[in-house]
Amino acid sequence: MELEEMQAIWSQMSDQIENQKKLTNKLIMEMTQERFKNKIGIISKYEGMGALICFAAAILILFQLSKLDTWYLLISGIFTIAYLIFLPIYILRSINTMKRINIISNTYKETLIEYAKNRKQFLFSQRLGIYLNFILMIVSLPVIIKLFKDEDIFVTNVEVLYWYIPIMTLFLIFFSKWGYGKYKRLTASATKILEELQEPKTLS
Amino acid sequence: MNKEETFIRLIKKNEGIIYKITKVYTHTSNDQKDLYQEIVYQLWKGFDSFRGDAKVSTWMYSIALNTALLYSKKEKRRGYNISLDNVFLKEENYDPVLEERLKIVYSQIKNLGDIDKGIIILFLEGKKYEEISKITGLTVSNVGTRMGRIKEKLKTYIIKK
Repeated sequence: MELEEMQAIWSQMSDQIENQKKLTNKLIMEMTQERFKNKIGIISKYEGMGALICFAAAILILFQLSKLDTWYLLISGIFTIAYLIFLPIYILRSINTMKRINIISNTYKETLIEYAKNRKQFLFSQRLGIYLNFILMIVSLPVIIKLFKDEDIFVTNVEVLYWYIPIMTLFLIFFSKWGYGKYKRLTASATKILEELQEPKTLS
Repeated sequence: MNKEETFIRLIKKNEGIIYKITKVYTHTSNDQKDLYQEIVYQLWKGFDSFRGDAKVSTWMYSIALNTALLYSKKEKRRGYNISLDNVFLKEENYDPVLEERLKIVYSQIKNLGDIDKGIIILFLEGKKYEEISKITGLTVSNVGTRMGRIKEKLKTYIIKK
């Protein structure tokens, strides 16, 4: 379809729409109330709940830190606490940045650029999370066993680590490959938007 | 005239604009209604910041397109919806020939990338390159170049079809 033809159809449609106006005052004002969950401002309940669980676990470990009586258990415990506090904060901040795009004063181009940049940052935080999760799984195991069973896994059950670590490594390789593929595709689409917004060369 | 009355008058005068934008950026009628509410909500939120020195349509297109763009990127999350069923603009009243041709127009626009989609809507709305440039933030020459490319893309699309 040629552009001129599209214009003619569009204008015909516009005329018909003009004759069909039906919004009432009451309905318009209802739409201005934030009575429905507005899509653009919402924080995903999943990320929010995940963060709460992480913080609760961090507090639990923190209060029992004195039980970790060897240097390696203490280091594992501190790493676990730091992870459980900082990663959720980092991810929630990335999400929030995405939601802070100023719809009202931005131009369309600015909105697209901010969206694409924030999206890339968010994807990076998710990717980082995938890798760190596996380190956490390995590091937190001795901490959990010590806190809940009062056993030092390196002394009493060191054989557990012989199968636990290789299995975790296999999972890490598998999920990282899967996650990285997904990450690459999504990041590529955000990058494409940014590239497209460069001044295009004039048509030859 | 108070703020509410002015806003209502503004929306009533321009409800067709919102309708057309929601149609391009959504795929189902539920999403379209949802986006319609979201745009009116964002316009109301930004109403205080709107100053008479800018053109109403420039301000409105800008917020509506930004909202539609971000809405189309979000995953679906259901919230409370106002029933627009009985008052929403209906396409059933169109004549069948126009309806069929409109479907082609919409599908061609939906096939374009995010940037081009915004430009073509404004162009079809009769905006000059200068105003498209103001709303989108692209330079006038960029808008012109992109329009040239859009024309090419539309031709290619027809050939592929």
